[in-house]
Amino acid sequence: MGLEMDPLLHALSYFRRRKFQLCSDLCSQLLEKEPGDQAAWCLKMRALTEMVYVDEIDVDQEGIAEMMLDENAIAQVARPGTSLKAPGTGQGAGPSQAIRPLTQTGRPLTGFVRPSTQAGRPGSIEQAIKTPRTAHTARPMTSASGRYVRLGTASMLTNPDGPFINVSKLNLNNYAQKPKLAKTLFEYIFHHESDVKNALDLAAYATQHAQFKDWWWKVQIGKCYYRLGLYREAETQFKSALRQQDMVDTILYLAKVYSRLDQPLTALNVFKQGLEQFPGEVSLLCGMARIHEEMNNISAAAECYKDVLKQDNTHVEAIACIASNHFYSDQPEIALRFYRRLLQMGIYNSQLFNNLGLCCFYAQQYDMILSSFERALSLAESEEEAADVWYNLGHVAVGIGDTNLAYQCFKLTLANNNDHAESYNNLAVLEMQKGHIEQARVFLQTASSIAPHMYEPHFNFAVLSEKVGDLQRSYIAAQKSKETFPEHVDTQQLIKQLKQHFARV
Amino acid sequence: QDLICIQSVDGMLMLFEQESYSFGRFLPGFLLPGPLTYSSRTDSFITVSSCRQVESYRYQVLALAKDAETQETEQQKIGSGKKLVVDWISNIGEQALDICVVSFNQLVSSVFVLGERNFFCLKDNGQIRFIKKLDHSPSCFLPYSVSGTVINTLIGNHNSILHIYQDVTLKWATQLPHIPVAVRLGKLLNLKGVIVTLSDSGHLQCSYLGTDPSLFQAPKVEARNINYEEYDAEMNKLQKIIKEARKIKDILPKSENNEDFALAVTVLPDLDSVSQAVDSEIKAEVIPSVMIKIKVDSTLATRTKLTVGVPSPLALTQNSFILELESSVSKTVVLSAFLKGNYLPADLKGSVLASYNTPTGAPRVAQCKFRLPLRLVCSPAQPSKTASQKLTIDTNKPTVSLITLFPDFADQSDEDQINVLGFQLLAGSRVTLLASKTSQRYRIQSEQLEDIWLITKELTLRLEQHFGRQNCKDFVCTFSGPIPLQDYFDIIDHHFELRLNAAKYEQLLAERAIQFRAIERRLLARFKDKTPAPLQHLDTLLEGTYRQVIALADAAEENQAIMFQAFTKLKSATQLVILLISLWQKLSADQVAILEATFLPLTQNTQELGWEECVDASISHLLKTCLSKSSKDHALTLFNQLCIPKDTSRLKKHITLLFDRLAKGGRMSLNPDLDCHQAMLLSGGCDTIPESDFEERPPSQNSTMFTNQGHLDKQDIKP
Repeated sequence: MGLEMDPLLHALSYFRRRKFQLCSDLCSQLLEKEPGDQAAWCLKMRALTEMVYVDEIDVDQEGIAEMMLDENAIAQVARPGTSLKAPGTGQGAGPSQAIRPLTQTGRPLTGFVRPSTQAGRPGSIEQAIKTPRTAHTARPMTSASGRYVRLGTASMLTNPDGPFINVSKLNLNNYAQKPKLAKTLFEYIFHHESDVKNALDLAAYATQHAQFKDWWWKVQIGKCYYRLGLYREAETQFKSALRQQDMVDTILYLAKVYSRLDQPLTALNVFKQGLEQFPGEVSLLCGMARIHEEMNNISAAAECYKDVLKQDNTHVEAIACIASNHFYSDQPEIALRFYRRLLQMGIYNSQLFNNLGLCCFYAQQYDMILSSFERALSLAESEEEAADVWYNLGHVAVGIGDTNLAYQCFKLTLANNNDHAESYNNLAVLEMQKGHIEQARVFLQTASSIAPHMYEPHFNFAVLSEKVGDLQRSYIAAQKSKETFPEHVDTQQLIKQLKQHFARV
Repeated sequence: QDLICIQSVDGMLMLFEQESYSFGRFLPGFLLPGPLTYSSRTDSFITVSSCRQVESYRYQVLALAKDAETQETEQQKIGSGKKLVVDWISNIGEQALDICVVSFNQLVSSVFVLGERNFFCLKDNGQIRFIKKLDHSPSCFLPYSVSGTVINTLIGNHNSILHIYQDVTLKWATQLPHIPVAVRLGKLLNLKGVIVTLSDSGHLQCSYLGTDPSLFQAPKVEARNINYEEYDAEMNKLQKIIKEARKIKDILPKSENNEDFALAVTVLPDLDSVSQAVDSEIKAEVIPSVMIKIKVDSTLATRTKLTVGVPSPLALTQNSFILELESSVSKTVVLSAFLKGNYLPADLKGSVLASYNTPTGAPRVAQCKFRLPLRLVCSPAQPSKTASQKLTIDTNKPTVSLITLFPDFADQSDEDQINVLGFQLLAGSRVTLLASKTSQRYRIQSEQLEDIWLITKELTLRLEQHFGRQNCKDFVCTFSGPIPLQDYFDIIDHHFELRLNAAKYEQLLAERAIQFRAIERRLLARFKDKTPAPLQHLDTLLEGTYRQVIALADAAEENQAIMFQAFTKLKSATQLVILLISLWQKLSADQVAILEATFLPLTQNTQELGWEECVDASISHLLKTCLSKSSKDHALTLFNQLCIPKDTSRLKKHITLLFDRLAKGGRMSLNPDLDCHQAMLLSGGCDTIPESDFEERPPSQNSTMFTNQGHLDKQDIKP
């Protein structure tokens, strides 16, 4: 048979099967033969874009500069429950800090890592810069734009002989008049080249050419504005797009703008309106849950996650968050069931086994603890993960009263991750029990310098100093503890006691 | 009657009636072929075009439009079919993979479109019924109606998972052994509802949705029989090792003689005939340089990194080497040292550090120290009679001729040089060395106190060498005092003043930076405003503040450079003072070591933690412990945090006190001091602390718990 497949159709088939490199190579051959072949050109652009495509909704990075020069802030001090910046001011429906640990930004630990989990909103630029820079800190990046530039240069790897299209030489106005090419070209410039400025130019011409009737272009302009940090402008574009056509993505973008503008309540409203249009849309429910969680409204977040599971019972994020919520509200058996569900779904990693082991321990299913942790250790991909597993093993050892083993476990944690403040704190407690005061003090000081957001080291230090008789230091440390966790009863009592002492003197 | 429609890659729709060709039409605005389907209820063809729109063409319109062939001749393929009018358009904003029309009954039918990121359901007039955002990139889909009431959709994705949705609700998810490229429902023999999937490689699979969950089987860790006795024995052994390891207080392992690796340094006695100096700041005609040879001998084949360090402002032509050693072959590297900065070094000692790995992978270091010749920093000169700083060193032996002591500086012909020798420091003043003809004394004089140090050190060293060669064991140098404390304090004050300056600059810089940011923020707000207000000279203000910031930074940098020089001078003077006091009070070597440790902390001299407070803390510690007069001084008060003091009077007082006590015969030792320190600790630690007061940190559930699978994929792409 002399019949060969049309090369363009072949390339298209590669594209459908997501074999983008083959597709792009084939298109390059076609373009060599006929440089003006628009179809091949367009297909190659699409293939290159797909190679580096990341859903823009998931990209969430805020640099110091963006945070500090935030001129969108309405009030210096937000009213309680209306801001993401002061998460502690929410309804306080979740378990207290003593039970559920906080991250460095003062939010309770979440069950699922997403790009914005670790974003912090420090109060001033000095504070932002002074945040200790460890592997898992909340220190924001210096600049988000810089990162986009790097993303852009990194995409050159996909085509080593220089860029496929020299964007700066294109006549954008010309292309904007060809709707069939313009959209593909835009995505290429935006995602592959990360050249927001040119992308915005192209989108602006195109939307003009479409007589402002194409919602798609408005969303793209909004995306560009968002990246440029012009949130209010992005908001108008997204709103205008929504007036023309309700789309899930547009709603998500708009909500993202609002949460960046620190208006979580408006964002929640957007989600609610979106849910009226698209009832049961998982991404909208999930977005609501995230905002509730960021505002420390854990029970509302859990409700949303439950709704998510009603729509999609394989949603990993929802299962993990509900499980961790159950765990911290003292229901390890139920958490265990959720984690088992994840295991059944084929998730097989160190974190899951670690959590299973912990749940087993607290649910008093002692036969499974060690084998779970053993698996977790064998699956740990990085030293940080191994450190966390050892840390939790140390807890188990404390729980069964084997302080020797606990000591060694915490030491191993530190061997794996030298910044593990919790381990330092617990080691200090163990040292205290042995009577090594000086050693304990050193550990506590290390812990509090690594993790100033934890109240435990401060409080322990206060107790320790008080016992030794160093009331002044005890008072200072107790004050710090109170600062991080104002409701802590023991701290309050200690401070009261110290004040009585001072009064007597 | 069957009609067949064929879409070609270039966008022509060809329609056949049975086997006869009836007509062909070009679609408008065509670039790449999209999915195509026929809706019988509306009698139209529905496709997704390159403009990312769902377009519907009525059959009648197609049939009546201009013929493709005639078009082609007129307008060359593209831009054809101007008369081809679209029935409706729905903009979905993405490319589609597949399109399908499903009708419940004759009344309602829906158009299902599988996009690259979303799954759409449209009414047959193009309005969106619902959208479902997909987490993973889909590969194929099949909507079908169940018993005429609900519509289910099978969606396969590139993670080889088949999802079954009822509208937007996920009903079932199942794992497939391959990535499906097409999916259909079939009826095989009497078996209804078989899911038939086609893989990339052409394999066809018929499957059904079992109620048996395919439980994920975690791989076995490694089955083994536990031998408790063996384990106990091993555990005990390990515990013992751990216990042993914890007993050793000293972190550093005891140094063993390392025969595998040898490092030898030779400093050539003569200066280089051609100077090797580069980039020196000194304005002399010839900057002396001296060659250093480092020989590395190793029995191991290993990769070694050599690092050579000399005190600044001395510099080296090259200060690090990477050597690929072969076993039992020695390697030699050659480099030159010279004076770079325009001031005097505080020391002439250098060191070579070699780091390598043993074959077992353990990292090791070897170190070797060397001393650079005095000629590197000074040259012979005419002695000068006048000097403000004079020091006299007494000895118990007759004076030695300076020519024999300093052969490298002396001019043999000049008879005067037996007693008088002049040194011109390359970056400093002139130092004159006088040997008394009658008494057993040497006098060193110069304009600057710190300049005397190098010559004095050299003199004592050479004297000891000289008498050592003559086997005179009882040679002693002494110094009758008094120690030039006042000049020393002046140097301290100078250094401290510079530190205060640095603090001032830092504060000013912070203020200006805050001002700069404030202006910047205002400007930004102005520029972003839709109706820009006048700048009101904010730009001038910004420019001015920027200039101020830069000027301040420059000044701070300059101050830092001066401070570095001042610190080197301070180090020189300190060493001189220590030498003098040790000669004066005839301190033993370990006493000198304690003094050196007190006065020359190893820490870097930084703004936060500087020399003054470090030394003050160490001296007050000495004064309170081993040099204390009364027992009440022993009561240790805890030091506050070290911070830059307000002035140096306290430090000066302490230094004077220290020297006083030393002069009165006080001797320092570390051991009693340590004991008393520990006793204090124990007395404090007697109180037992109830356990309940301490809080265990609640178990941190790993904050890195799960990353969504889809998410992971995306992150991989991100570099």
